Amino acid sequence: MPVFKTPFNGYSVKFSPFYESRLAVATAQNFGILGNGRVHVIDLSPSSPVINELIAFDTADGVYDVAWSESHDSVLVAAIADGSIKIYDTALPPHSNPLRSLKEHAREVHGLDYNPTRRDSFLSASWDDSVKLWTLDRPGSLRTFREHAYCVYSASWNPKHADVFASASGDCTVRIWDVREPGSTMIIPGHEHEILSCDWNKYDDCLIASASVDKSIKIWDVRNYRVPVSVLNGHGYAVRKIKFSPHRRNLIVSCSYDMTVCLWDFMVEDALVGRYDHHTEFAVGVDLSVLVDGLMASTGWDELVYVWQQGMDPRA
Amino acid sequence: MATTQPPAPPNSTEDKPQTTPEVVQQANEVQQDGRPEAAKPIVPASVFVNSEPIREDQVSNAVKFLSHPKVRGSPVIYRRSFLERKGLTKEEIDEAFRRVPDPPPSSQPASLNQDGQVKPSSSVQTQATMQTPPPVAAAPTGIVSAGTLAQRQFHWYHAVFAVGVLAASGAGTAVLIKNAIIPRLKSWIRKVVLEEENENAKKSDAKPSLAEEAAAAAKAAAAAAADVARASQEMLSSKNEERRRFEEFMNLIDVQVQEMKSMSNAIRKLEGQADSSGRTFVDHEDHRVSASSTKQSYANGRVDADVRSVRSASPPASAEPPHPKSYMEIMAMVQRGEKPSNIREINDMPPNPNQQPSNPRIAPRTKPWEAQNGSSQVLQSQGSGEGLIQKVQDNGLNYLVDDESSTPWWQRKNVRITEVENEDELKAGPYGVKTNEPPVQRTWVPPQPPPVAMPEAAEAIRRPKSSALKEAAKQEELAEDQSVARPLEATDELNRITKISESAGAVEINGGFSSMNSTEIQEQEQSYSEN
Repeated sequence: MPVFKTPFNGYSVKFSPFYESRLAVATAQNFGILGNGRVHVIDLSPSSPVINELIAFDTADGVYDVAWSESHDSVLVAAIADGSIKIYDTALPPHSNPLRSLKEHAREVHGLDYNPTRRDSFLSASWDDSVKLWTLDRPGSLRTFREHAYCVYSASWNPKHADVFASASGDCTVRIWDVREPGSTMIIPGHEHEILSCDWNKYDDCLIASASVDKSIKIWDVRNYRVPVSVLNGHGYAVRKIKFSPHRRNLIVSCSYDMTVCLWDFMVEDALVGRYDHHTEFAVGVDLSVLVDGLMASTGWDELVYVWQQGMDPRA
Repeated sequence: MATTQPPAPPNSTEDKPQTTPEVVQQANEVQQDGRPEAAKPIVPASVFVNSEPIREDQVSNAVKFLSHPKVRGSPVIYRRSFLERKGLTKEEIDEAFRRVPDPPPSSQPASLNQDGQVKPSSSVQTQATMQTPPPVAAAPTGIVSAGTLAQRQFHWYHAVFAVGVLAASGAGTAVLIKNAIIPRLKSWIRKVVLEEENENAKKSDAKPSLAEEAAAAAKAAAAAAADVARASQEMLSSKNEERRRFEEFMNLIDVQVQEMKSMSNAIRKLEGQADSSGRTFVDHEDHRVSASSTKQSYANGRVDADVRSVRSASPPASAEPPHPKSYMEIMAMVQRGEKPSNIREINDMPPNPNQQPSNPRIAPRTKPWEAQNGSSQVLQSQGSGEGLIQKVQDNGLNYLVDDESSTPWWQRKNVRITEVENEDELKAGPYGVKTNEPPVQRTWVPPQPPPVAMPEAAEAIRRPKSSALKEAAKQEELAEDQSVARPLEATDELNRITKISESAGAVEINGGFSSMNSTEIQEQEQSYSEN
């Protein structure tokens, strides 16, 4: 399984929804504390387990997250630590990039999510306690959702209902929003500590998972959100990112500050179905490919990006 | 959006009236039966919204919380956040806020706050407190009569009545005092004064002694408090001392480890490796405590201006995860105000703010969950049509067994069933067929295809698809039944032909081009006849 070494600390990795061998990596210098950033677009070579870099974009400040456009195969969006959002087009020559720099957030933009159903809009979650809705063609945000009392770490679109999304915040709540409504429609006080990530189940539109600093992942049914459907324990430290599998109904992948990437089946009694401890620093980014079942990628502060097939050893 | 008849005709005209409308309608009906999502557009709004009634106990708890003087001093956003974390819904929180208004006039007995109510009762109160006999005498009676007269409107008049009674009693006692008691008091006082002159000495002794006692008691209490404070301070300071010592100890160890690292670095340099960044070191043991000590400041995660400005990207974990050594170094540098030396000045602004993105070369692909669940939002991405393509395990096996180099390494799995995705035109791999696992099996079971030369079919699929995809990308949402209907009739027509052609047909159907469909099928038939 190949490895890609980034010069800066990895923050996020995302598979392209168009090309099954393409990924984008968000990295930030000096662990994202202070320094430059870089977005890498990498490609898996089909014949040999090698990862090539197609193009890289330098930024003045660290890149905390990256998201591929669902409408344009060559466009990606980057969340920058100076509060701006940059849009890049890999099909244009490097000197024409970035396409846009959208500066509205007052603080670091920590999470991005592109709408997989409408394909025209994306969300940005920022440490200025707000979530903003954008489209590629407009220079300003369409909506600002400001209700959280602390940093919003991630936002996630519902895979079935194009207007519904959820946000996870350091105020220990997950909020569910509908872009047609002015305010949040549901508040899930899921954990006693900050919630770093949330994601919807792709096959059951009412299930949402939240990952928290309290090392647990909880699965909630929005129809009965007082009690979690399932609590997944097993990580040794805060869980940084979770993602429901696009191919299997009950599979969740998570990465944590305990440097492992874990696979869970939340419908099973013994939920932990896989654990990969290939990283030697915080594992902060993980993603599952939408196009290839079982293909996963992770990145961490050890400046490495691993891409491997579920069931195989990423370091092999 | 839903699989109802009305949207179907316009969609079908858009896509392809290639197939007979009757088949389409039949399929529509089949799909409608199978899918209870016809009313979906209305339902989602209610699923993702609180439908619980307001819980009165939670609201009263919230009211108590909000009425607390200390809470009143805190910003509203933190009050709301606290209540949210306790599990109150938005409606309950709003109700609690409504019941405890910000300026506190709260002297109303029982009933809900009404502004109109506050004013008349306060005016009555001011009347009563004046306590000049004539108006007082008149007012209570007036109020009492008013109260007795109108008792139907419970809230307003009830309060007025109660206040009037109070005023009356107050006035009455005032009158009593004036007339009856004061003369007695005066005489009594005169007596006492006479006695006082005699007992002055004793009294002056008693009072100072009382005062002294009180003062002594207060001093003792203060001394005790001071003692307690001192003791706690001492404990804190001792704790701090201990911690400092521990830190020093750890620092010493750090220093030693650093020396070792520098030595190993030097060794590496000698070996010719240019490893400049200090970040590649991975030491877990030595920095744990130093991490914890500095992490304490953001351990609770609350708003600490300094911490936030330094971008505490790391989580405020209750159990502090071991941060890399150089992370702590950089944090320390930044907190001192120094800038790490490896930062460059980069201009990352767009060179042309009006630059348009390039045209997409591939149409968006269906998501696996969309195709499988048959949601109505499927098939904007008709291009790849992953969801609807049935793939027999044989083909996967063939790929695995026959020609390993044909599948990219990332698709080789230990499992029998492989997902072979159709690639973009640049990758002209031999694998062209898609699998969706689990495949969408609704109305027919794919027959076992004879092993065929896939590549040609794959190429045939791909060629017209590119143009088809572009058109397809522009379409909004297709009814799912459309796509499913197509494979049905495609199957009927191409039953002899292999999966690929069927899938190709499905792809085309998804792509929404009837003309393409027919030519596709013809091409494939030709290719197979050649074979």
